[in-house]
Amino acid sequence: MTCISAFLALTALGVGGGDSSSAAGRTPRTTPHPIGAIQAYSEADAKRNGAAGEGGAPPVTELVPVSPAAFVEPIARYKLYSAGQLQIMLGYIAHLRSALQDRQPAAARAAWRGAYEHWLHLGAVYGAFGALNDGIDGAPGGLPSGVRDPRFTGLHRLEQGLWQGARETALLGVAIRLGDDVRLLLRRLPSVQITPLEYVTRAHEILEDAQRDLLSGADVPWSGEGVLATAAGLEATREVLATLRSLLDGREGTIETVEFSLARLADALAAIRREHDGHWPTASQLSQRQSELLNGTLGAALEALDAVPGTLETRVPPSIPSLPSPSR
Amino acid sequence: MSPLDRRQFVGRSLALLGAGGLGALAGAEAERDGSASAQSLSPAALARRAEQSSLAAAIPFDAVHQAGILTPAPAQATFAALDAIAPDRQTLAEALQQLSTRARQLTQGGAYPRLEVDDPPADSGVLGPINAPDALTVTIAFGGSLFDDRYGLASHRPRRLTQMPNFPNDDLDPTRSHGDVLVQICAGQRDTVVHTLRELVRSVRGSLQQRWAIDGFSSARRGPSPHNSPRNLFAFRDGTANPDVSDSALMNRLIWVQAGAGEPAWATGGSYQVVRAIRMHAEFWDRVGLAEQEEMIGRRRDTGAPLGGTEEFQDPRYDLDPQGKRIPLTAHIRLANPRTAPTADQRILRRGFNYHRGFDTAGQLDQGLVFVAFNQDIERQFATIQRRLSEEPMVDYITPVGGGYFFAPPGSRGPTDWVGAGLFV
Repeated sequence: MTCISAFLALTALGVGGGDSSSAAGRTPRTTPHPIGAIQAYSEADAKRNGAAGEGGAPPVTELVPVSPAAFVEPIARYKLYSAGQLQIMLGYIAHLRSALQDRQPAAARAAWRGAYEHWLHLGAVYGAFGALNDGIDGAPGGLPSGVRDPRFTGLHRLEQGLWQGARETALLGVAIRLGDDVRLLLRRLPSVQITPLEYVTRAHEILEDAQRDLLSGADVPWSGEGVLATAAGLEATREVLATLRSLLDGREGTIETVEFSLARLADALAAIRREHDGHWPTASQLSQRQSELLNGTLGAALEALDAVPGTLETRVPPSIPSLPSPSR
Repeated sequence: MSPLDRRQFVGRSLALLGAGGLGALAGAEAERDGSASAQSLSPAALARRAEQSSLAAAIPFDAVHQAGILTPAPAQATFAALDAIAPDRQTLAEALQQLSTRARQLTQGGAYPRLEVDDPPADSGVLGPINAPDALTVTIAFGGSLFDDRYGLASHRPRRLTQMPNFPNDDLDPTRSHGDVLVQICAGQRDTVVHTLRELVRSVRGSLQQRWAIDGFSSARRGPSPHNSPRNLFAFRDGTANPDVSDSALMNRLIWVQAGAGEPAWATGGSYQVVRAIRMHAEFWDRVGLAEQEEMIGRRRDTGAPLGGTEEFQDPRYDLDPQGKRIPLTAHIRLANPRTAPTADQRILRRGFNYHRGFDTAGQLDQGLVFVAFNQDIERQFATIQRRLSEEPMVDYITPVGGGYFFAPPGSRGPTDWVGAGLFV
């Protein structure tokens, strides 16, 4: 029929099935970039399909939208998982407090890593809590006085102190407040509203944030723990996708492509961890080859994940009303 | 200033004062080519003729307002922030005078003299023995920090000049932000810009030291008509709603500082300049559906028309769309310029450039926009708009990383005047 359909069909066939836990032993398949298909798609094709696209643009998805009700159960499952992660995080925060009291900086940094990792396991709810969110993982960049701003608190305030040799006792209050903020979030979690669109977008954007803010070092300037953070983002992404698996099955071949690319990313991370004696290296400790492998497999995963929100659309995009008439 | 430094300033200025007449030289060359009719020229000769005629174009340095503000943006630009390290006020004044003097010579072009062969040449010579003007503009501006207690300039501070604050969502790198002096260099060719920066910083060495710089380029005007605005690196047309620079009454309302208004007298005819290096996360943007991109901006990506419309310059008629059914209420163009009577005096003149500076540490394209805006009152105009934009959905895809607030004084009035002279009378 059309190049677009052929392209989708090929993609679906090309990446079908199989164990998703590892990419090893499978033939790596390159996904053809859609631009070729778009260029070949003529205005005549569009008209034959009855598509509204102008200037040869491809038609919108032919899939039937997913009912919003179908997301109730996945989101509920995700909230349960998140509550579990917050509980684990509280355990690390308790360790952090003891380490600060005992003036054990190395133990304090290890506890911070654990707390941060499990916070990132929530991925899908970041930004959903407004001021509470800022209290837990707010960055100093947008604050009027930056790192000296009194509103700069939470994980990154602790990170700054722990990696810049602040007095342990000076950080104790920040750690106590972080525990309080996490407990408050835990109490509010059941009543937090997450829309289907927000939820499916997170499946894509948790790792976008990892690339933009974490692996780049922008949000972890002191600890440099971008690799640990990316691995945690991958965990969170897989958790979200697991809850959406039954909805994604059979739709556009998206889940197969996604799982293949996430398995490659997981393999890259596992290899890097092995090569660093079972620890997460900081981003600056990566060799050039490790860095390229991680950046490249993460980028490829993102190119696959960006199809998830569109695959699970809950509505046909409304048509845009016309402007009355050009005024000049 | 040491006697040696002073000799260096004076010597080089004298040598270069003899320069001139290049417009005529380059013009003569173009003329020679022009004697043949267009049909008889090879494509290569036609291309050479076009390049030479644009290389010969000179924009006056001395004018009521500095060039490079209302001047249409050419293809190439560099923004360089310098910090004053001059030991005293007199040395600073001489350096600023030197900056204007050298900028005037370079913008007008010409041959520079040969000194004795065992002396370093007066010009690096990167553009050859004759500097073609290439529509070069050099716009000089001052940051608020110049008006601290070092040089006794505090009482002359333009009233609305502050240090650029951290807006929500900003991640400003202090080493790429602010500065005492900003030099904006624009020209048709990259080598012209690079040569100009090299000559200017040489002329003030020891008094004004490089702090940060960023290179910019304009997208070509790819039509369909010559009026259509060029695209930024998000592929959307940028600058569509700019105020009309040929309307001098409008420019006096929006761009130029007027006499009175609480401003020091020397500032009249100047303009506040906002520069922001805004990283655009291009890979992320390319993973966003077209409809979502267009809703974030409020325009069609292909034509640049407001959503629902067909032409770039069509009025988006927000009055007919109070619910945001056609153009979302959070769309960039709607928040930036609501086109209402109360927001009419908030409009700014944008004169931005794209930038590309390689890859970041995570292997991502380090690209974006050197946002440049001129306005009469930063608080009333730019800052008000910027605060409105803090909630726009596009903030996920951009990160402001540097820049600053500056004040571009009125222009130099003639060969013995210089930009900023009014500060030292």
